[in-house]
Amino acid sequence: MSPSQHVQKTSRRAHPRVRLLIGLFLAVFFGLCAGLPAAATKVESVPDWVKAAASQTLPKYSDRTNAVVLRDDRTVSVGADGRATEHRRRVVKILRPQGREDARIFLPFDSETKLTDLHVWSIGPDGHEYTLRDKEIGEVGFPGQGSLYMDLHARVAEAPGRDPGGIVAYEYDQRSHAYVNETTWHFQSEIPALAQSFTLELPAGYSFGSVWSHHEPVKPADLEHMRWRWELKDVPAIDLDDMAYTPDEAALAGRVTVHYAGSATAAPVGDTWKSVGQWYRTLESNRLDATPEIAAKAKDLAGASPDFYTRVEPVAEFVQRQIRYFVIEMGIGGYQPHAAAEIFRNRYGDCKDKATLLSAMLSSIGVHSALMMVDDRRGAIDPKAPSILADHMVTAIEVPEGYRSPKLRSVITAASGKRYLIFDPTWEKTPFGQLEHELQGSYGVLMEGDQSEIVALPVLSPDLNSIRRSATFRLTAEGVLQGRVTEKRYGDSASMRRYLYEREDAQQQEQFLGRVLRQDFASFSVADFKQENLGALHQDLTTSFDLTAQHFARQMGQMLMVRPRVFGTEDLRPSVRRQPGPRQVPIDLVETVQAQDDFEIKLPAGYTAEELPEPVSLTLDFASYESATTLLGDTLHFHRSYTVRQVLLPAERFADLERLAAVIATDEQSNAILKKL
Amino acid sequence: MPISRLAVSLTLVACLAGSMRSAWGADPWTPPTPEELSMTSSPQAPGARAIYLFREQITEDALHMYSVHVRIKVLTEAGKDLANVELSYAHGGRGQLNLDEVGGRTIHPDGTVVAFTGKPYEKLVGKVNEAKYMAKVFSLPDVTVGSILEYHYKLRYDDHYYISPDWYIQEDLFTRKVHFLWKPTDAELLTNDDRGQLTSHVAWTPILPAGIDVHQERGANGRLTLELSANDIPAIAREEHMPPLNSFTYRVLFYYTPYRGMDDYWKNEGKYWARRRDKFIGPGPAVRAAVQEMVKGSDAPEQKLRTIYAATQKLENSDLTRGHSASEDKAQGLGEIHTTDDILRRKRGSGDQLTALFVAMARAAGMKAYLMGVTNRERSFFYPAYLSTQQLDDDIAIVNYDGKDHFYDPGVRFCPFEHLAWQHTRTSGIRQVEGGAVLTETRTEAYKTSQLKRVADLTMDDHGVVSGSILVTYSGIPAMRWRQLSVSSDEAAVRHDLVEQVGSLLPGGMQLTIASISALDDYEKPLIVKFNVNGPIGSPAGKRLLVPGALFESNRRTMFSSEKRQQAVDFDYGLLIQDAVRIKLPKTLAVESLPNEATADFQKLAGFNMTAENTAGAFTMRRNYALGEFFFKPSEYTDLRKFFLTMEAADQQSVVLKQAAPAESKGGQ
Repeated sequence: MSPSQHVQKTSRRAHPRVRLLIGLFLAVFFGLCAGLPAAATKVESVPDWVKAAASQTLPKYSDRTNAVVLRDDRTVSVGADGRATEHRRRVVKILRPQGREDARIFLPFDSETKLTDLHVWSIGPDGHEYTLRDKEIGEVGFPGQGSLYMDLHARVAEAPGRDPGGIVAYEYDQRSHAYVNETTWHFQSEIPALAQSFTLELPAGYSFGSVWSHHEPVKPADLEHMRWRWELKDVPAIDLDDMAYTPDEAALAGRVTVHYAGSATAAPVGDTWKSVGQWYRTLESNRLDATPEIAAKAKDLAGASPDFYTRVEPVAEFVQRQIRYFVIEMGIGGYQPHAAAEIFRNRYGDCKDKATLLSAMLSSIGVHSALMMVDDRRGAIDPKAPSILADHMVTAIEVPEGYRSPKLRSVITAASGKRYLIFDPTWEKTPFGQLEHELQGSYGVLMEGDQSEIVALPVLSPDLNSIRRSATFRLTAEGVLQGRVTEKRYGDSASMRRYLYEREDAQQQEQFLGRVLRQDFASFSVADFKQENLGALHQDLTTSFDLTAQHFARQMGQMLMVRPRVFGTEDLRPSVRRQPGPRQVPIDLVETVQAQDDFEIKLPAGYTAEELPEPVSLTLDFASYESATTLLGDTLHFHRSYTVRQVLLPAERFADLERLAAVIATDEQSNAILKKL
Repeated sequence: MPISRLAVSLTLVACLAGSMRSAWGADPWTPPTPEELSMTSSPQAPGARAIYLFREQITEDALHMYSVHVRIKVLTEAGKDLANVELSYAHGGRGQLNLDEVGGRTIHPDGTVVAFTGKPYEKLVGKVNEAKYMAKVFSLPDVTVGSILEYHYKLRYDDHYYISPDWYIQEDLFTRKVHFLWKPTDAELLTNDDRGQLTSHVAWTPILPAGIDVHQERGANGRLTLELSANDIPAIAREEHMPPLNSFTYRVLFYYTPYRGMDDYWKNEGKYWARRRDKFIGPGPAVRAAVQEMVKGSDAPEQKLRTIYAATQKLENSDLTRGHSASEDKAQGLGEIHTTDDILRRKRGSGDQLTALFVAMARAAGMKAYLMGVTNRERSFFYPAYLSTQQLDDDIAIVNYDGKDHFYDPGVRFCPFEHLAWQHTRTSGIRQVEGGAVLTETRTEAYKTSQLKRVADLTMDDHGVVSGSILVTYSGIPAMRWRQLSVSSDEAAVRHDLVEQVGSLLPGGMQLTIASISALDDYEKPLIVKFNVNGPIGSPAGKRLLVPGALFESNRRTMFSSEKRQQAVDFDYGLLIQDAVRIKLPKTLAVESLPNEATADFQKLAGFNMTAENTAGAFTMRRNYALGEFFFKPSEYTDLRKFFLTMEAADQQSVVLKQAAPAESKGGQ
């Protein structure tokens, strides 16, 4: 397994904590590298293949290009036992000081995939050549910070001469996991690559297939004797800097997955999604078995109701809320869940553990379910490219034939005609029946053995992710705004706040509210803060508070300027940061959402509105925005609504997105002018 | 009496900082009280996810062991995370450190005990050469809100090794009760540095709340026991613009020492420190020769120093680029670094090495030049009572001429001549003097040293779109940061980030490009950046247009939203910002009203004023803000906040533009 594959194993949860920990992993790496001798001794000369790569004339790159891959050759040799060994040679040239990071040696491995024959060389911009000794290459583990245990390690080093113009090269061998029969060549990254090759060597009797993502398929050269080679030249970088609303790099970068099979590969993954499911069945075998304790708990939770939803929801919520997220992963554990009995006993597990326990519990009450492999990086799973690349696991719960309920929103229909409710027991704040926005509009692999398939996950209606703000204010002639604010959030828009109010202390909650209100008020105070329905995911998370904002209305001679929109900035600013030239990258709007504001402002005695903001209305296929301010008696009424209906747009719609953003930004700054009678 | 080895391991200190406890007997557990079991919240920590019921750390030198015992009450869902425990430690090494006897249990609110029966996972955190950092990881079972989490472990080390403890009294959670105990050895020990000094005393630095102190007692056998018990320790409060955490959380730092007191320590260690530095500084023959080339004997002292300073600044500062190993130097034909001659030969060095080189050159030029080790104010404050030279982070230079000490910061790239980086101002440390070293303070930079001048010259069209230029002049710290970025990254990164940073200040939709940058690499001149700007500047109000009165502050959020404050306010350094914005109007628009002039000040430590001027076909806004002091006590917070609120309210004012009246037609037509 290649290093790049290694860090994308299925058990990585799309949990915010894990995102943080990946950062910590790198932090440990950097920290330890600081302690490294960074030593280099001229033990042996730099190999000719490094020198040859270094001597190339480079094309002209933009001043944003930090480094370039001069050469990256991978040779995957499959042994008679079906296990592959990868030999890799890579040469990188640093173009900017920032390119030092791209030239850092960071090679992951675990107990089954140890790196052997690792050599690191470098050539400084002054021509000095260096070879790192083995003891000069450090090793780091995964910094779990109490929530993760993985046997994932990495060899790390910073080569001498790593300055602009310098060359860093390495070479190593690494065995694959025994249970994996595919390898993915990720040939596109944040830096351009001049020359890359991928060579496959198979034993007699083996065959292979390949699936390409985000790149036109390239035919391999037949090198004879069961050897094939793919070559690519001048692959551009994926440059997402200074670009708003971009998909994840994994949804854009070119890659090819090669599957190989022969006599020694049992249940091999092939070029079909069905084979992925068949492969996984061998891993999950026996892990889904329910013990008597599990069955008893499931039956107790389900109760006696014959209604599907009524029976399943408490079981799902038990796993969602009572099983702590805690990762223990060694070797195959990156893909294989722990046994349901163990998870139930410990009351903790990672995403595939939680999905497994839920499946076991449901089976105890006669409800069939399957695991579903997904990736929270929308677009990372390519329906045209079957593979085991994914970063998360959820549960697909079969819905009885003919059963209908308005509460079941994230339902897909398989090719078999069966309907499944897609539910993520790891995502603690998504109501049962729905799906977090990170997975909406992406694909999942329904693991149903021979019936396995890739399915598109639904994009849920905006009304399932809503924000409704309302307030009644009084404005004084001195410009002070006072009133009570109520905010109702439902769905994903409530998730972060549910976490906040559940997990953080009073001071942090106050600081958060302060940060939110600082978006719109220079000086304010909050009193009598209340929140309701914190744990009731099917109800609005309702917060309310008394707000006093000093200097809200600004005195200009005899006039008062008032912003009827009051608060609730929609931070839709795609034009703030942008690369020059037309947009090439698709637009990822993150989530569907429906926001609505209704504010009333009672004017100070003796004042009336001289001018009101013009009403605004813009309706596009993917979103709409409208607002209106009216004066009824002595009270300003402001109403606006903002709806996002789609999550993915082609790049050419960027102008529409900018137009929408401009309309919203202008409207949000619009003022009413009050004049003394 | 046998002489044993002594080690003061800061690595260990860091590892144990999270939690602590004692040697336990046959039953290591503490029975929960009914009140602990039924507790659902803590009045001393409203909304807290958990509190420590008890933390204990016992260090027994005779057993070469730390014992740690922790009891945590889980109060919210978030508190359940504390059941995941990771105990990291430096494994092996000279002290042969090992962590064992890990035990844990979960106690439900009904008193049910669920024991942790597994074995902690042992994982590698990092390995570099011989150093190996490990962690033991486990998760306590079946945790619910209301559970009590209890665990203990022991950290052992070699029989010939002693580690003085540090007691971290204050943590991120409120602590009901802490107990720390140390039974130090009465053996004579040797420090594990290159001197191998005999130590005969135990000393400590307490940073403790009033009424809490270290209790010391000698038993019948004459053995010393040090102990601290305390109740109701508040959680560490984290607030914006607060001083570094290292500078104020409650703790007691211990050490074995050969010294009898603070003065004794700093006198002797200072002398040792100064001698070691002198050995490195020299100056050697290479430095002397170089100085002879670059300065004339007839030059005035300041001129000599300017020349030397410029020469030092030209060298590569590896704090901004990267470090080079000894063997990398060797491959380049460079030997080991022993003196400043070696730094000069390399034409590169760390900040401290370059500072030493500057001192060496100054001495070679016949000046009285000294090194001073200071605590970096970004990390902590200097505590003279903390008897450790490890609190000295960085070096600065002092040269005495004309009967006066002059401070220099040649180790900070682009720090102007005879100025200090803010991290090194108003801090303390130890400086060389003739024949030794003394504790002293560094100076404070005048707030005017760091300036930002922003001048916008814009022309508006009929649609409220402006175009023109913005000239930003950076001096002092603001300039130094951009210049340093040009070395740690490159000029392209500076250009990119300048557009981002200045663009973020302006109303949305305004586009910026850089027309020119001057003096990016000249630390003695202001850095001047000229931007071209284009875009809508105002927001509509019916037929009127509202233009931000403080163009560069219109997107700034309020500085202090909270009415309450626990920590001091620390702005790092003083600053002067001067803005002038002139907008020429089209004939179709006229000024209806300008912002009110505004003035505010705070104890003559901070001041602000804003003025508006309406001339024919244009208006000009001017704004000045001076922060003369950067550190404010919590007691000053209310008034300080009032100052900022006043300023921010003024900044939110707008210039109101209206349709201009059509020009009167001339008669006779």
